Amino acid sequence: MSNPSRNNPLLQRFIPEARELLQASAGGLLRLEKNPQDGPAINEVFRAVHTLKGSSGLFDATALTRLVHAAEDLLGAVRAQEIVLDSSLVDMLLDSLDQVSLWVDRLEGDAELPADADGVASRMASGLRARVASKDSPETATTADATLPAEAPPIWLHRLPVESLRVGFRRACRGATVLALCYEPDPGCFYAGTDPLQAALQVPEAMAFTIEAVAPWGPVADLDPYHCNLRFHILTDAPRTEVEQAIRYELDQVSFSPVSARDLVQIAGEPSDGPVWDDFYEAASAQYAAGDLAAIRASAATLRSFTGPGLWRNDALSWLEDAASATAPDHDLVRALIDAAGTGRFGGAGNSTVSATASGAPTTLLDGPNGAVARSILAGQRQALGKDGYDEIRLASVAAVVGNLLVGLGLDAQRHAFQQAIVDTHESRSTLPLLIFLDVLESGGTPDTLPPSDPLPSITSATDLPKAADLPKSTAPGPGPGPGPDGAARNAAPEVRAPQKTLKVEQAKVDLLMNLIGELVVSKNSLPFLAKRAEETYGSRDMSREIKEQYAVIDRLAQEMQGAIMQVQMLPVSDIFDRFPRLVRDLARKLGKQIDLSVEGEDTAADKTIIEALGDPLLHIVRNSLDHGIEQPEIREAAGKARTASLRLRARQEADGVVIEVQDDGRGIDPARIRAAAIEKGVIDADEAGRLSDQEAINLIYRPGFSTAHEISDLSGRGVGMDVVLTTVEKLGGRVSVTSRLGEGTTTRLTLPLSMAVTRVMVVEAADGVYGVPMDMIAETVRVPESRIQRIKRAEAFVLRDIVIPLMRMSTLLGVPARQRNSDEEAEEAVLVCQIDGRHVGLVIDDFREGMDVILKPLQGALAGMRGYSGTALLGDGRVLLILDLKELI
Amino acid sequence: MPLRIARTTVHFEGHCSVEEALDLQAFFGRVKVPKVVLTQCAGLHTALLQVLAAARPASIAPPSDPTLAQAIMPFLSGIGADR
Repeated sequence: MSNPSRNNPLLQRFIPEARELLQASAGGLLRLEKNPQDGPAINEVFRAVHTLKGSSGLFDATALTRLVHAAEDLLGAVRAQEIVLDSSLVDMLLDSLDQVSLWVDRLEGDAELPADADGVASRMASGLRARVASKDSPETATTADATLPAEAPPIWLHRLPVESLRVGFRRACRGATVLALCYEPDPGCFYAGTDPLQAALQVPEAMAFTIEAVAPWGPVADLDPYHCNLRFHILTDAPRTEVEQAIRYELDQVSFSPVSARDLVQIAGEPSDGPVWDDFYEAASAQYAAGDLAAIRASAATLRSFTGPGLWRNDALSWLEDAASATAPDHDLVRALIDAAGTGRFGGAGNSTVSATASGAPTTLLDGPNGAVARSILAGQRQALGKDGYDEIRLASVAAVVGNLLVGLGLDAQRHAFQQAIVDTHESRSTLPLLIFLDVLESGGTPDTLPPSDPLPSITSATDLPKAADLPKSTAPGPGPGPGPDGAARNAAPEVRAPQKTLKVEQAKVDLLMNLIGELVVSKNSLPFLAKRAEETYGSRDMSREIKEQYAVIDRLAQEMQGAIMQVQMLPVSDIFDRFPRLVRDLARKLGKQIDLSVEGEDTAADKTIIEALGDPLLHIVRNSLDHGIEQPEIREAAGKARTASLRLRARQEADGVVIEVQDDGRGIDPARIRAAAIEKGVIDADEAGRLSDQEAINLIYRPGFSTAHEISDLSGRGVGMDVVLTTVEKLGGRVSVTSRLGEGTTTRLTLPLSMAVTRVMVVEAADGVYGVPMDMIAETVRVPESRIQRIKRAEAFVLRDIVIPLMRMSTLLGVPARQRNSDEEAEEAVLVCQIDGRHVGLVIDDFREGMDVILKPLQGALAGMRGYSGTALLGDGRVLLILDLKELI
Repeated sequence: MPLRIARTTVHFEGHCSVEEALDLQAFFGRVKVPKVVLTQCAGLHTALLQVLAAARPASIAPPSDPTLAQAIMPFLSGIGADR
């Protein structure tokens, strides 16, 4: 597969998807850490990581795939309740996810992973794998025991040529880890450019390599040569990482099963009997008891040389010889092989019995000559069922296999029950009935005595499955092999999750729509002008009225359209809130503080640009709270507070804006210290400081220069980055306020507009022109008789409801001569009372006009640097309205 | 051309790619007693392998490349034995 490039559409789809999946897994992990029994959470994390692994396999990002794979294995073990998820494990997993996230960023930029990725991946992956390996702690021993059948050797192992098994056996006896690979390529893989044969041949150190058809071949003419119908079985003793590297693109279609030497033993031949075997059995048992493996080997070799080579027991001897000459002999295996040669029966794995002779009637259904094979087939099918949950295709193949097995074993009586179980399975869309059937069959019961139409009563007789009945919430330990609670929980999951119909659209396309609608709004605004002209210039009143009617319709449609497209741009605040649980957790651990974070109103939506820009300011606020606001547990305890501090993130929608609050119950801001620091720093003088109210003192932390001063931030416990907060929020047209009570906590409140797309402005006449003033700056409009304007030296002011409001003349600010007033006009000034930085200022203008919604376009090109204007907007009659930026102007 | 058809015999030469699968299938549909010679074959696509498997030709001369022969011949001859 070639390197993915920047214009690789698959990669472009993968990147946002990967980020979502990473986010989902991190969120799930945090939930799990709080409540390890959270079944849906583990399933969610597992599913996300699994999907990530699958889709990452499409790219040349082996390191990423490998790391995710390791994480998936670990999560799988957690899900199977083999290991307990603790904080350190969560740390490891989160670190891995972070690494993956870095790589995803890298993939987006460079379309390839950094050079050291392989090293990092294998280091982190082996760390994760080490945890999987160490799962057999005493407390989980029972679960581990119970999962043994799930690790049963793959059934196809015995279809491999005996010579290959023998080679594998010898290597396993020498301590090598033998892996059994089953590679079943996707039927459509040829279209993806995959050549499974070549891929399979890449597996290093293959001791056995077999190919088989998945479905029987039909007539050659009917064959679809491009539909892959092959399956590969490979036995190798190469390290797993090497194997994975070799077939890295096919990993999700390959199942790996480590096999032990015992699994590889396959004894064949004619049954035989005689005193010579009994003698050997006695002698070898004695030698075994004495621990003399060399002697065992010698006796085995001797006996083998004079018994018939075609005999089953003779064959057993040859395996015994190999086992006994191993460098690190498996004593149990030697014992089992001695038993095999001595008694004609091989114990095989666990307690299942392989009998070479058909002597003795089977005690259970599966104790016939092919019992062990049948068992392992059943185990494999159960595993498949449990793994995939309810899946029509999988079910069909399982049904076919089990059906054939029943026929093969001559268990005709069970076939009816089996058919019934299949029908039930289809009806209930759950694998449960089939699993119960298999379970009973395997445990040696007589499935045909079950009332097959009603699986529930039989549950009590099935060993592990009752827990599966109270699903999907059940998180009880499921020691069942494979199909445990999670198997059924996964069945339930797809039913709960309604299919999401989401369209991923490029931002630019939405922006274009937005612009077009903006234009539409503007052109729509020209209709009233047209109506006016129709009436005034052409004297047609009717025409004017009709235009106005049409205008009303278009106006309504345009507004709806605008609303709709703004909805598209809306994102829930959870987009930014989601990162905080992780951040707070990490920081709290680092600082040794105990913090309980609660998030409210995540569903509150706001414009995408706002949500995206809010990330940083919120980060600063939360970090400040954690760092300075919240005290150490001991200090809190001494102050009579709970050891665990609470930090609240709240979002809610208010009239035309979104309010986001960060509230902590920490030590609060001390206004006295702020005052002292401000004086010391020379931000204000002592007199001024004395006049400030506590709230005003707290507001000082926003003063630029103040916030960055290190010693002050340490003193106040606040301030680092507060100017970042302020500037960002104000740029978005929002406001910041901080309230704090000493010793009780601090609340920072951000108020933001819902959308930035449309700005409401008031059109004013000033200095022989019309200008727009953003509505949110305007507190009120008043007409002030000239007599009430008082001059204080060169400045002017007037009193509005007992408050002195300084006056400024717009003409002075804009540097144009003031309009000459007609002498007969009443001496009255139009004053726009604006609120700037929390202070009121009166702006003297010539006249007020209407308010309107405009699409604000920032000044561009040569005008870009001009101060005093925040942008332009197009009026309905084609004129350009300059929008004033009062903060810069005053 | 890696797939050379001479009357009732198809010769695989060099690396035989997926594009030849339909030709090979057509060949087996046409010829009653097909013979396959893999001697010169250095590698063949899985699609060709499964056409061979499905067609069960009367005779297959194994590839001279031992690795390839080892990998595919047991499979192909096993199919033949099933007949």
